[in-house]
Amino acid sequence: MATAYRREWAQVLATVVRLTRDLDAAQDAVQEAFASAVTAWRAGGVPDNPGAWLTTAARRKAVSARRRAAALESRLPLLVVPDEPDMSDFPDDRLRLLFTCCHPALDLPARVALTLNVVCGLPTADIGPLFLVPPATMAARVTRAKRKIRAAGIPYRVPGPDEIGARLPAVLSTVYLLFVQGHTPPRGTELTAADVTGRALDLARMLADLLPGTAEVAGLLALLLLTEARQPARVDATGAPVLLADQDRSRWDQRMIAEGLALVPVPPRGPYALQAAIAAVHARAATAADTDWSAIVALYDRLLAVHPSPVAALARTMAYAEVAGPSAGLAELDVLAADDRLASYHVLPAARADLLRRLGRSAEAAEAYAAAAALAGNAAERAYLASRAADMETGPRPGGEGRDGDPR
Amino acid sequence: MKYMLMLYETETDWSQHPEELQASLAEHDAFDAWLKERGIPVVGGEALHGNSSATTLRKVGDEMVVTDGPYAELKESLGGFYIIDVKDLDEAIEVARRCPTGTGTEIRPVWEMPDS
Repeated sequence: MATAYRREWAQVLATVVRLTRDLDAAQDAVQEAFASAVTAWRAGGVPDNPGAWLTTAARRKAVSARRRAAALESRLPLLVVPDEPDMSDFPDDRLRLLFTCCHPALDLPARVALTLNVVCGLPTADIGPLFLVPPATMAARVTRAKRKIRAAGIPYRVPGPDEIGARLPAVLSTVYLLFVQGHTPPRGTELTAADVTGRALDLARMLADLLPGTAEVAGLLALLLLTEARQPARVDATGAPVLLADQDRSRWDQRMIAEGLALVPVPPRGPYALQAAIAAVHARAATAADTDWSAIVALYDRLLAVHPSPVAALARTMAYAEVAGPSAGLAELDVLAADDRLASYHVLPAARADLLRRLGRSAEAAEAYAAAAALAGNAAERAYLASRAADMETGPRPGGEGRDGDPR
Repeated sequence: MKYMLMLYETETDWSQHPEELQASLAEHDAFDAWLKERGIPVVGGEALHGNSSATTLRKVGDEMVVTDGPYAELKESLGGFYIIDVKDLDEAIEVARRCPTGTGTEIRPVWEMPDS
């Protein structure tokens, strides 16, 4: 049943929404349909086409619920469901659901929450903890977003071929943020990280299935796969994070890597395709020392040209330090440090600390690690950075500097 | 659905800039022509005088006190508005993109009464 829920929820809901023209009413009906399936399938076995069974049941529930509610006419206008003659362009209703939940007229946190609740079928009580938000606040956020969809007249449609390029980034950034959230979850969350990254991967796969030949969609899926493949090596037995350079690459998921590598668009042009290409360079290196850092610097330069961001500029500088050496990297880092947008980003002092350590400037490195630890939001990262600061104060570890000091 | 497009601009004393005023009016004429060509009904629309001409009544207890200036203290001024009748928000956004404006345009759905 859990599998059916995860696999069929979005499709069944997307169809029922067209009938109800109301997201909440449709969600209730689909929920009820799944509940009755538990009993019916236990007695009569799972039907050949569970999706069709669930859709029929949910439609029936929606119709009878509408009869009951007819007297209590809602004051909000119903969802705008256009009669599109060109519907055959995108026959799958799930895409309408996703584009509606990821409309740029909704802010990014609302889009992420709505996508998890509506498209993935997660209750708001499970979504709240993931964003360190009380369940009631998350429920209010989702309700507000649903009201805006109806009140503002956000249509239940897939944008036409001439608009889809402009609308896709809002969808891709939603799926990407969802993945990132699962990848570095705050502590004490009910949903495990794997659940959330799994949902983001499901959505990216769905988009890739429904919009084949769209480079940025393929790029996003490739990026998620290549990043997720490293998951088994990202933390050690004690739960401490392991840097990319120190990861046991034999623990990387080779099946995911193969799938991801095959998807990276050639040549990569958009921001997701370029980030996927960077992840691909790492994935292809048998050891950290084999990494083609010049290729990575070149890809970051292209990424910064199409999608400038201080975080990408910082990553580029660290790659550059691998090519040109830590002093050259440090000089570039000082230029970047002037950017206010990086002022509270813990990776900046952590990167600085790393370069100072390689240059043997232990006291300054300790100070920078401590500054990074003070800014880090994730408890495991904070602990790791604090321990590096302590290492610096007790003196460099044997063999530490000579090896790392040379450009690789 | 009906939407109001609220056009914001930096406060300008148009009487001091007659050529710019003419240019702006010409842009709005062209926009009007485009709306007609597309068959998009315009329910209303006007240009407004600037913030310095505004008077605001504020509720203080049970009283309405007359004050000088606009309701919201912005650097920009609500320079004018259109009310259009279109299918949905996507179409309203498309129209708003075409609509001449100063620094930005806010789109608001018009509350439609159920019996209308």
